[in-house]
Amino acid sequence: MNKQSLQKSAGSGLVFGIIVIFLALIGFTVVFSGLIQKVLGQSLGVGQIPSISNFFIFLGFLGIWNGWRASRQDKHETLTLAKVLMRAAVAGLSAGVLVMLYGFVVGGLDARGTDMRKYLSMLSSDSIKFFLFNQSLVLGGLIHVGFSTLMALVGGLLAFGSERSQQQVRTNRTKIQKWSQSTWLGKVQGNPYVTYVLMGIVLLLLVLLPRTWGAYWNYVMGTVGIYVLLGLGLNIIVGLSGQLVLGYVAFFAIGAYTFALTTSPEPHNLVWNFWIALAVSVVAAALSGILIGLPILRLRGDYLAIVTLGFGEIIRILLKSDILKDFTMGPRGVRNIAGPTLFGRSFTSDVDFMYLIILAVLLSIFLAKRWQESSIGRAWLAISQDETVAQATGVDTQKYKLLALSLGAAFAGLGGALFASRNQFTGPEDHALMVSINVLVLVIVGGMGSIPGVVLGAFTLKGLPEILRELESYRLLVFGALLVVMMIIRPEGLWPARRPKLEVPVGQDNEPVPLPATAGGEK
Amino acid sequence: MMLEVENLNVHYGAIHALKGVTFHLQEGEIVALIGANGAGKSTTLNTISRLNKPTAGDIRYRGASIVETPPQDIVTKGIVQVPEGRRIFPKMSVVENLEMGAYIFSDRQRIEADIEMVFGKFPRLRERRKQLGGTLSGGEQQMLAIARGLMARPQLLLLDEPSMGLAPIIVEQIFDIIREINQQGTSILLVEQNAQMALSIADRGYVFETGKIVLEGDAGDLLEDPMVKEAYLGGG
Ligand SMILES: Nc1ncnc2c1ncn2[C@@H]1O[C@H](COP(=O)(O)OP(=O)(O)OP(=O)(O)O)[C@@H](O)[C@H]1O
Ligand SMILES: [Mg+2]
Repeated sequence: MNKQSLQKSAGSGLVFGIIVIFLALIGFTVVFSGLIQKVLGQSLGVGQIPSISNFFIFLGFLGIWNGWRASRQDKHETLTLAKVLMRAAVAGLSAGVLVMLYGFVVGGLDARGTDMRKYLSMLSSDSIKFFLFNQSLVLGGLIHVGFSTLMALVGGLLAFGSERSQQQVRTNRTKIQKWSQSTWLGKVQGNPYVTYVLMGIVLLLLVLLPRTWGAYWNYVMGTVGIYVLLGLGLNIIVGLSGQLVLGYVAFFAIGAYTFALTTSPEPHNLVWNFWIALAVSVVAAALSGILIGLPILRLRGDYLAIVTLGFGEIIRILLKSDILKDFTMGPRGVRNIAGPTLFGRSFTSDVDFMYLIILAVLLSIFLAKRWQESSIGRAWLAISQDETVAQATGVDTQKYKLLALSLGAAFAGLGGALFASRNQFTGPEDHALMVSINVLVLVIVGGMGSIPGVVLGAFTLKGLPEILRELESYRLLVFGALLVVMMIIRPEGLWPARRPKLEVPVGQDNEPVPLPATAGGEK
Repeated sequence: MMLEVENLNVHYGAIHALKGVTFHLQEGEIVALIGANGAGKSTTLNTISRLNKPTAGDIRYRGASIVETPPQDIVTKGIVQVPEGRRIFPKMSVVENLEMGAYIFSDRQRIEADIEMVFGKFPRLRERRKQLGGTLSGGEQQMLAIARGLMARPQLLLLDEPSMGLAPIIVEQIFDIIREINQQGTSILLVEQNAQMALSIADRGYVFETGKIVLEGDAGDLLEDPMVKEAYLGGG
């Protein structure tokens, strides 16, 4: 066994040990174990220390990861079982010993009655005991070493197995493809009926869920739906036409306020029909997209981002200021905004509203998909990749950029109107910069230019934090970390737009031919 | 007369890039514009296809001025530019790039037929039809850029340095194709650093120097001209 590779394993093990210690110092060991406990469906009171078994699960994940990392050092080498196990064991052992030493230090201090919370607010006596599995110093430390080594070995085995199976897959890929095409699975994929059945199931869920899962989830999922609308719109602007617009919230605000001012008794005593007000809000937002678009069409990249960032803030500040107080109610915001009515019946319950949002989302997805796949979508794609060349191929770039802005704004207008109507209130703070950023992040996380990506991104960004609510003050930190991890694992987004990837021609021209041999007009 | 450029002046801010450029191109000709880096050749092409705006002067296409025509309409009139530097759409496949080239047309069948036509000229592209533009080799990208230009059925093709950075054998092939395109009835305005190559297929040529035309004549005469030999053909 070569010494260098073992040193490397030890090094990577120590890094993992440091990570564990760091997580313990900031109290994350307790928080994560608590989260695991909740995910597993057991209750946990605020401030209560979770049960030790969940701590083992948490450490188990880290340990497996440690072993996995340590055993795959070089992409090009072929792994043997002995190599893998040695490396994993070394990594696990070094991580475990380091953690044990940490345990001795804090455990020892705690036993002597030093209150560590003076220095690190998370290090309560309870949490230190928890870290040592409620065992004695020595026993707790040894458990750490043993468990860390064990889990690292598991990780090493997993790495070994996955490496093997990948090799298998690589050599068998064509075989498997042929096989899968000839079997049931191959027939199912690409079969339109399967798609219909799946869509049917989704539709059924969309009909049933709002009735069953209660007002809280209707509220959360309604917000997700509104963010899907916003995401679809911004996706057109940023993802498809390639204009980095940061003040997207401006359109949301215009939609919300148009709806608010035309349906609330105060300040203008206009009480328009819900649907008319909704349509007017959408149109107003679309027009504002054109208005804002006209002066900024020539700007590209960073400049566009900065200027549009300004628009969003200007609108919010205007709404908040005294200048428009008589017109928009200033910082107080607009209250008593109307809910939906149909044939004289008002349906404002959470269930009704959820249905309304689902309908809006489905309609918007349908429209966005059609635009994206039409020649308009092609023009946007061309503009986003090379505006000058798009112009040289005859695309009226100004027109299509404006079109993208106004259609994108229209979605935000729809989202804003629904948002105001659902909350029966809207104020300047509903339209802060954070909205723009959130929507941009959801588009990026989901995968630029991808409609399923937008849906997934909205769930991740607006649904996940609700699930993470258990983490209280750590919520945003964990959430940020999740986003970072996600972008590392899937840099093109959760569900990247399906563009043809490099496709090696199959069949007889499989071998890449040196360019001069067949290029040009001969042949 | 197909194209007449008269006293063309272009400024980039304070930079006076074209200082009264006058030249013309007859129906069916290949005309070469040669000159050192920064002489204003690309600027001239960009101004004809209206990616730039001139500050003074006139451009007439078949007798009618086109200086006020927006770029997308220039393409519809039959003037198509293949910009410098193999600018293809990197995230579109070869076929999608070609379809973009035919953006001004909507007749599906005709577009399909045209794609077959350019594949006939560039068999290499047919092999790579589903590959993303950005993953093509430099030579393939240049072929794709020209092929995309052809998809708009140009009557006047503006080619900006089609040989830039390519191996000699590919340059030969690309110039063969340019000649072939010309023989099939497309007039060509060709900007080139490779003066030897350009003048060998051109009918006439113009030599640019810092925003002005300093020499013009039949391609054969320019090839023999001592000054051109000295400056652009590697010594006389
Ligand atoms: N967008 C621009 N902004 C400012 N200056 C520009 C711009 N484009 C070109 N120029 C300047 O105008 C002059 C002419 O440039 P042009 O690109 O037309 O040269 P060229 O003859 O095509 O050179 P090359 O053979 O190197 O491509 C150069 O001095 C260049 O720096
Ligand atoms: Mg140039």
